[in-house]
Amino acid sequence: MSLHVDFSCRIGGPDGFLLQPRWSTDSHRMALLGPSGAGKSLTLKAIAGLLRPDRGHIRLDGHTLYDSRAGIHLPPRRRRLGFLFQDYALFPHLTARQNILFGLHPGWLNPAGRTRLPESARHWIQAFHLTPFLERYPDQLSGGQRQRVALARALATRPGLLLLDEPLSALDANLRRHMRNELKALQQAIDIPTILITHDPDDAEALADVVFYMEQGRVLAFTPPTQPDSPFNTRQPHDPTI
Amino acid sequence: MWTPLLLSLKVAGWATLVASVAGIAVAWALSRWPSRWSDLIDAILTLPMVLPPTVIGYYLLVLMGRRSRLGAWLHSHGIELVFTWQGAVIAAAVVAFPLVLKAARAAFLDVDHALEQAAAVLGVSPAAVFFRVSLPLALRGILAGVLLAFARALGEFGATLMVAGNIPGRTQTLSIAIYEAVQAGDDPLANLLVVVTSITCVAILCLTAWLMPGRNRQRGRRWSAP
Amino acid sequence: MKSIWHYGLAWALSFAMLGSAHAETLLVAAAASLTNAFKDLASSYEQAHPGTQVLTTFGASDVVLRQILEGAPADLFASADQAAMDQAQAAGVIEAGTRRDFARNTLVLIVPADAPATIRTAQDLRRPEIQRIALGNPRSVPVGRYTLAALQQAGLADLLESRQILGQNVRQVLSYVERGEVDAGFVFATDAAMAADRVRIVQTLDTPTPVVYPVALVARPSLSGAAADFLDYLLSEPGQAILARYHFSRP
Repeated sequence: MSLHVDFSCRIGGPDGFLLQPRWSTDSHRMALLGPSGAGKSLTLKAIAGLLRPDRGHIRLDGHTLYDSRAGIHLPPRRRRLGFLFQDYALFPHLTARQNILFGLHPGWLNPAGRTRLPESARHWIQAFHLTPFLERYPDQLSGGQRQRVALARALATRPGLLLLDEPLSALDANLRRHMRNELKALQQAIDIPTILITHDPDDAEALADVVFYMEQGRVLAFTPPTQPDSPFNTRQPHDPTI
Repeated sequence: MWTPLLLSLKVAGWATLVASVAGIAVAWALSRWPSRWSDLIDAILTLPMVLPPTVIGYYLLVLMGRRSRLGAWLHSHGIELVFTWQGAVIAAAVVAFPLVLKAARAAFLDVDHALEQAAAVLGVSPAAVFFRVSLPLALRGILAGVLLAFARALGEFGATLMVAGNIPGRTQTLSIAIYEAVQAGDDPLANLLVVVTSITCVAILCLTAWLMPGRNRQRGRRWSAP
Repeated sequence: MKSIWHYGLAWALSFAMLGSAHAETLLVAAAASLTNAFKDLASSYEQAHPGTQVLTTFGASDVVLRQILEGAPADLFASADQAAMDQAQAAGVIEAGTRRDFARNTLVLIVPADAPATIRTAQDLRRPEIQRIALGNPRSVPVGRYTLAALQQAGLADLLESRQILGQNVRQVLSYVERGEVDAGFVFATDAAMAADRVRIVQTLDTPTPVVYPVALVARPSLSGAAADFLDYLLSEPGQAILARYHFSRP
């Protein structure tokens, strides 16, 4: 994937937080690392189209998702992205099966109980071992199962880019390590580029080839994975290009 | 006795439908596009609940009577609202509308916005997000408002009397019939009509509670799966 | 009990009419005090003219006047006092040439049937044990205007002070007296007759202007064809006979 991001957005009124991320990368696995409040989540939402910046542009693989000068702001449903929310955002009134099939049905009605599974959905259900849980509701699933359902839901629509908002933050240390490896294996299995948000450098290292460090709404630096040093001692601020 | 009952059910049914559609639409707009005007708009639209029904009836009469521009326009198209059951529907809908609006707005605000965002990213249209995510999750709260609206519409009297008149067989609803029976000193008839109204209301409210969606699934129940 | 029959008859007839095709439909908007008489007139007119449906709507004269002023589709307007009809005429909503007086009523002072016989005239209302006196609201109800005028003429208007209970229409005043909510009330003789077993007429009052009921055709382009005929019916012998049954007198 090639991703160019350069926009600014003032959140919460004239004296509010100023989000001004700028970077450009060709990497297949990217991470945004930084403390909470840095604006990582907001940046991801802007890439997804859930947040409209004030000015700037966002280009993915040559397609313009957002460009203030050209007046372009593609709505989320046209961007063909997958988004894993921090608390998974599973639809509580639908079963796991209905959740996973959600993006595959364009109409105004939710897929009914026993609809046939399209191939893309079936693939992920089997890959994540979700078959026994399909008829359960989200509040009847464990955290790990919920995450897998959320991933299956995002991947079933064959997105061009997968956005992961702090996928491991809510897990305890053991589970975290386990899931980290699972996600790494997943990344290798799928051909889809990923952008990961995290405040944990270990997550970033395991799951990304390029790490951009963000603080107070700006991207300050980046790390290619071969350098074990901390993010601080690489290139100059405001020049994060590969 | 049957004519006022059937008429009341017809008028209240239509009025609830109109008030619900309008109430849900406005509530969603207010919750989706909040602005500093939102609360002011909400307050103004709640006025029909606060003003005396006769006052509302008077305003509606002035608004829809043939002497007004709107009324004259309607009349030229063959639509008559004053002294008709359609006028009664409008009067009842106006007073019932705030009940749906308030309940629906609160219900929509309670829907986790992240769920609507997730749906949007998954590729469905904004209308589909509304019908498949926002509305089902807000339904319980909305229905409570709709039921209140129905009960209000069924009991509506002052505005209806002003706009639709008191025409037996056409616009004399149960509440107006009760009023007339009381005025005529006909207590037995009045009591009969009151009992009929009460039984009808209770029956409908019970029936709807029984049919309420998801009553066997209580959301918010936390299990951890084995 | 009489009223059940009248109500039931009118309702049954209207129900029977529901299925049939009507050559003519007529809407009569009348003052509340004419309720029972007009329902009877409507049903007997329908019997004499099969194929014609006479719809009625009743309310306080001023409410009905307001509805007609705003263009409500009534064909006839029968009011309980001249003032309301004068307003309608001034606003041009009635055909002035069709205005007629069709009935006369008298103003009476009534007390609950079981009240002690201490009140024999309006003067007796001055007694301290009389706490509540019901009358129609003079600002909006004809019977109230007649009451106030009659009391003023007799120099008794002051006895209303701080004891008056205003009713929104004459039936409400009657109802208050019937149920013993008030000590006395002022209604028309026709209303008192309706509740003959529950109220007692104490005195008939003189009113400066006679209580004469006017009726007129409403000025509408699509006036019902039967409207003028019904108006004539009110003034005819059979119509007047029906009115007399309810204790109206000739105009």
